[in-house]
Amino acid sequence: MANLKTIKRRIHSVQSTMQITKAMELVASSKLRRAKERAEAAQPFFEATYKLMAEIAAEDPYFNSQFVRKRTETGACLLIVIAGDRGLAGGFNSNVLKIAQNRIQEIQKQGGNPIVLPIGQKAVDYFQNKNIKILQSYDHIAEHMHIYLAMDIAELILTTYQRHESLQSVELVFTNYVSPILQVAQKMNVIPLDDFPGTSPRHCAVEYEPSAEEVFDKLVPRYVASLIYGAVVESFAAEQASRRSAMENATDNATEMLDQLSLLYNRARQGAITQELTEIVSGANAQQ
Amino acid sequence: MNTYRLVILTPDKILFDEQVVQLIARTTEGDVGILAGHIRYAAILQTGVLQLKLPDGTTKTAAESGGILKVSDDKTTVMVTAAEWAEEIDPDWAERSRQDAIAKIEAAQNEPHRLDRANLKLQRALNRLQVSGHGTGRVSPPLKKKK
Repeated sequence: MANLKTIKRRIHSVQSTMQITKAMELVASSKLRRAKERAEAAQPFFEATYKLMAEIAAEDPYFNSQFVRKRTETGACLLIVIAGDRGLAGGFNSNVLKIAQNRIQEIQKQGGNPIVLPIGQKAVDYFQNKNIKILQSYDHIAEHMHIYLAMDIAELILTTYQRHESLQSVELVFTNYVSPILQVAQKMNVIPLDDFPGTSPRHCAVEYEPSAEEVFDKLVPRYVASLIYGAVVESFAAEQASRRSAMENATDNATEMLDQLSLLYNRARQGAITQELTEIVSGANAQQ
Repeated sequence: MNTYRLVILTPDKILFDEQVVQLIARTTEGDVGILAGHIRYAAILQTGVLQLKLPDGTTKTAAESGGILKVSDDKTTVMVTAAEWAEEIDPDWAERSRQDAIAKIEAAQNEPHRLDRANLKLQRALNRLQVSGHGTGRVSPPLKKKK
């Protein structure tokens, strides 16, 4: 009898867990839809900005912006790490933090000084406990990400880069939303801007006002801002997708467990009835 | 009239992607008008107004918050931080952000960096108010009452 009770209790507990995971799955999939739209809408601006920068760089043979020049290898590196604000999203947070951690160790091995700019509660918590220098941290911004905030962050990054000659590069670790079932955490370089590939120098002259350099320097903060904006909304979409599939799995597992448990429960119940019957019958037999 | 393709991009959306006859925009060097067949050109835009002349003869006005204007052979692209059509600007919101900006300017008197930013914010709010209020006569009734 005691066995029956414990099984029943377990069934209840699995059921209530399943309710939660199912609700989380639904919430994540509705958030995912919106986040995906935002991530897609951010694409054209980023591409147009990048293309124009690449054109300017390709056209002007004397082009030499401070953001393109490679600096001497000091090993110092600013790492922008974008993770989620909440857990329970499968491997989402740990994947992105693992890449960041690997990069930090690499920098430290070369004798460099890593600085981090964490975005998202999970990233902030992680680096606070790690005793790594934090430039500035941002949490709970992803869901309502705004371009002006991205501009502020971009400005902070660029002024930091300009002020510290020893800072070798600025890198970004975020999660790329590939498909609802595939999200890839990855690292990319922000500054110095990579050599722009794929632009032919065949361009005829473009008239720049006031000048090509000034247009370029105006573009850089916008480029960085739209990069950060894009990475944040993309990571947010990836987080939701990751959470959705994690919760889907959890719900499936719970269903499976419930099946097994109810089988076990029925068996135990039947066993109890059989036993009771045997007891009655044998009791009756003894009376005769 | 010859037309050309104009694309207005902001980081969070494509505001406009259609044929137009003319675009008037405010660059750091002064106002420019772009017609079809313009040479390749790129300029920095100030916070200001975009005026579009459409093929059907109507005009459309938008407030923009600074960015880049680029004319290439196949299309003209406007990349700005933010842009709204005149009729879509909420004047109450613009007014609130104006007051907010003024408060920020007062609070940031000793910090040039924050002051700059607050000034830009004020500029944007004023621009929005102007575009929505005295734009080009395309003012919707509730906006007029406000003035």
